[in-house]
Amino acid sequence: MSAALGSAALALPAELDLAVIGGGVMGLATAYNLALLAPALKIAVIERSYLVSGASGRNGGGLRMQWGDRGNVALMIESIGLCKRLAQELGINLWFRQGGYLFLARSAAAEARLHRNAELHREVGAPTRLLTPADALTIAPHLCAEHLRLASFNPEDGVVFPWPFVWGYAAKAVERGVLLRTHTEVQGVSPAGDGYRLDLSSGEQIRAARVLNATGAWSGHLNRHLGIDLPNHPHRHEIFSSEPLRPFLDPLVVDLDSGLYFSQSTRGELVTGISLPELVGYRDDTLKQHSTLRFLTTIAATLTALMPITAGLKVLRQWAGPYDVSPDGDAIVGPSPGHPNFWQICGFTGHGFMMAPAAARLVARWLARGEGHPMLTRWDPSRFLSGAAARREDMIIG
Amino acid sequence: MDAEPLTIYFDGDPLPARPGDTVSAALLRAGHLATTRSPKYRRPRGPYCLIGECGTCQLRIAGQPNLRACLTVVQEGLVVESQNAWGPAGLDPTRLVDHLFRRGFDHHHFLVRPRLANVAMQAIARTMTGFGVLPELPRPGAPPPELHEHVPTVLVLGAGPAGRALTGALEAAGVDVLALDRRDRLGLSRWHPAPLPQRLLVDTGAFGVYAPERLIAAASPPLAGGSPRLHLVRPKHIVFATGAREGMIPLLNNDLPGVLAARGLAHLLERTDSQLTAPCVLLGDGEEAEALAAQLGVHRYAPADVERILGRDHVEGIVVAGRTIPCGVILLAPTRAPISELAAQAGAQLRFDGAGFAVLTDPDGRALLAPRPPDADDDPAEPPWQIWACGHVRNTSVDPTADGLAVAAALLAELAASEPS
Amino acid sequence: MTARAFLCRCEDVTLGEIDRAIDRGLTTIEEIKRYTGLGTGPCQGKECTGALARLLVDRGLARADALQPFTARPPAEPITLGLLAAARAPFFAARPEEDPDPKDTP
Repeated sequence: MSAALGSAALALPAELDLAVIGGGVMGLATAYNLALLAPALKIAVIERSYLVSGASGRNGGGLRMQWGDRGNVALMIESIGLCKRLAQELGINLWFRQGGYLFLARSAAAEARLHRNAELHREVGAPTRLLTPADALTIAPHLCAEHLRLASFNPEDGVVFPWPFVWGYAAKAVERGVLLRTHTEVQGVSPAGDGYRLDLSSGEQIRAARVLNATGAWSGHLNRHLGIDLPNHPHRHEIFSSEPLRPFLDPLVVDLDSGLYFSQSTRGELVTGISLPELVGYRDDTLKQHSTLRFLTTIAATLTALMPITAGLKVLRQWAGPYDVSPDGDAIVGPSPGHPNFWQICGFTGHGFMMAPAAARLVARWLARGEGHPMLTRWDPSRFLSGAAARREDMIIG
Repeated sequence: MDAEPLTIYFDGDPLPARPGDTVSAALLRAGHLATTRSPKYRRPRGPYCLIGECGTCQLRIAGQPNLRACLTVVQEGLVVESQNAWGPAGLDPTRLVDHLFRRGFDHHHFLVRPRLANVAMQAIARTMTGFGVLPELPRPGAPPPELHEHVPTVLVLGAGPAGRALTGALEAAGVDVLALDRRDRLGLSRWHPAPLPQRLLVDTGAFGVYAPERLIAAASPPLAGGSPRLHLVRPKHIVFATGAREGMIPLLNNDLPGVLAARGLAHLLERTDSQLTAPCVLLGDGEEAEALAAQLGVHRYAPADVERILGRDHVEGIVVAGRTIPCGVILLAPTRAPISELAAQAGAQLRFDGAGFAVLTDPDGRALLAPRPPDADDDPAEPPWQIWACGHVRNTSVDPTADGLAVAAALLAELAASEPS
Repeated sequence: MTARAFLCRCEDVTLGEIDRAIDRGLTTIEEIKRYTGLGTGPCQGKECTGALARLLVDRGLARADALQPFTARPPAEPITLGLLAAARAPFFAARPEEDPDPKDTP
């Protein structure tokens, strides 16, 4: 039996160079990249549950260059570039399909955003083009063109199946000597010398010179042990997938005005989510992962209006997962305020999965050889102390 | 039945049917066992459970994909189409997949390298995925959906013997009780002789228990040109009387069309006043399997003695202890598994009973609640209702009628205690 | 016809594929579901979950009293978007006074 996908029984040494807490895509991709750059480091990834149990296993699997901020566009050009060969690098099918992202604008405000983005994308080098409603219908034929003002399309954007992405990074990290311990919760963190002592749910105590908090929406729990106060917080989102049908939709479609997004997976299921308006009696600032009928009815009303052929489509299952929301929409990555050896790789605000291939590589280079990058400067966890945080991104979807 | 025979259309050909037939009944009677193909190995598949629990009888019916043939009742002129096939069944080229991948198909690691081959493989795989094609647009003038809200004191999910016994006792005591069942009135009355609940929504399947929203949602498909209906129910007590189902016995070629669930077929024969004419054997252990074999008049074998099921496009025989027995239908009678998914949604604790997951209750039938997940970080909301379970969903070896009556007594006592006197 | 024994007929998951997942160190129902696809098809695990649980117990990979099925997600019955859409306005639409200004960032 191999432990390529983690094991609850794997022995951990008492001393580690780096303990990565959280076996999601961020933690595993960082561990994998770091093991490539610094093979001598003793690295362990500790996951509370099973792989893909958190947000990395609950997202819609979309990857896009179409962002509203120069830095994010460039990062995603890099990430999508990496994804083109990632299946071969990780040795597992990722079902990466570049069907493009089709953004729809039905209001003047959304139309203005698409115009502004297209200009920005041209400057940065992303092949986004603006489409008339008629042209948009050639890409997604079943759309209702009523009220549609403008669309934008980038053929390089696409979708993956998120689970093998995570397993691929896990198996390759393990192959490179990373220890992957699943079904084990880190229940306590305390300073010990220059590093930290971790108390595990198994009763073990281990010491790590450095710790990387890769627990995303759950990161506040760990940070509180050390009195680290960061402003990212969980926000519950929902998705449903439909009965699987033969291919009828190539791009991932986003309706900017409602926050509705939908794509057809390689399995044939329509995978779709939406921004839910506030509603009395509902609290979404939570790690709870229950499903609601409010979500199903809201998304059904929006989706059937935009694509009437879906009225007869059946829901197969629905689920929820948390966004790890950062107040300025930028990730929170690097040494924590007051704790230079306790690092964060959090706050990706619902879009960490698509950024992970590039972001994890940046963090690994920083950890291995101190290499900087403009995005790392932007993502500094200490920016909130100085009030330097500024909202740059308005293309947070879902 | 004396009523006039009907004609439905299967893949364009007229097919005789009787009033009250399900689509599966009409197809099985005509010998149409294989009606779809499986997603990966492209093997022929047809109905199995015949009670709406499994996934392989789905067909395109009246322009809508993936409807369960075993739950759809025939109407004159109903158009039924097979799905997921490329050309006539015997000639479908995709059937070669089953022969090419004799040692199995590892979809995670198949043809990952080189990159161009991987890209091509994924493109081809995509064209072969999915069950069925997009539904037709809603017909202009089709009756609009109806929405109903109900606030009964007690909601009973399932009108089988346990649900009926419980509901009858509550009704006799004057309790405001609503029962739901996915089956139709004919199926329910032919299945068991006990009287049906007074307030019973038939053809109505509960699809979600949304505890934080304090509601149970159920739906009925549009019947005979009527409206589809959505029901939101906000009860004080929910009783799960959802019964048990037949799972799968992992035997070689257990997926061949003509492998049918024994109890499902027995119910279908009763519903349609039909006889089993194909040569048939039953596989199962224990008294229930013996009783079913006797009821259906077929020979029984222990699954452990079965080497494999034989056939190409459907069952042709079975090898038992080295001996080949020709047959056209194989009935499986595994130990039944509780139907507990909705109770799990409601937060009930489950326990593996050797065949499936039963709802854990106190002796009176009150469901024990599962421990709250570690991420439940906000205040525990007061559960909006009391959850109960009776019959096979809590124990597949009880007599469901007696258990329904016992839980009804406990529920009545609790209602009396909570009533301001 | 190649001789195969299926645990999940919806997604064509054979005993051999379960063995492969177990060889990868996966022994919980949630993990095996995700790695093999078992229970993710049209019946959503109604037919196969009990049989998988039994296999894990019989092989000594799980304790019967510790086993749980994978999360039961709605809908337990297929439901059309057209019917769900009709329930949005009467039951779940925010009334104007309750709906704060739409955010500029969906």
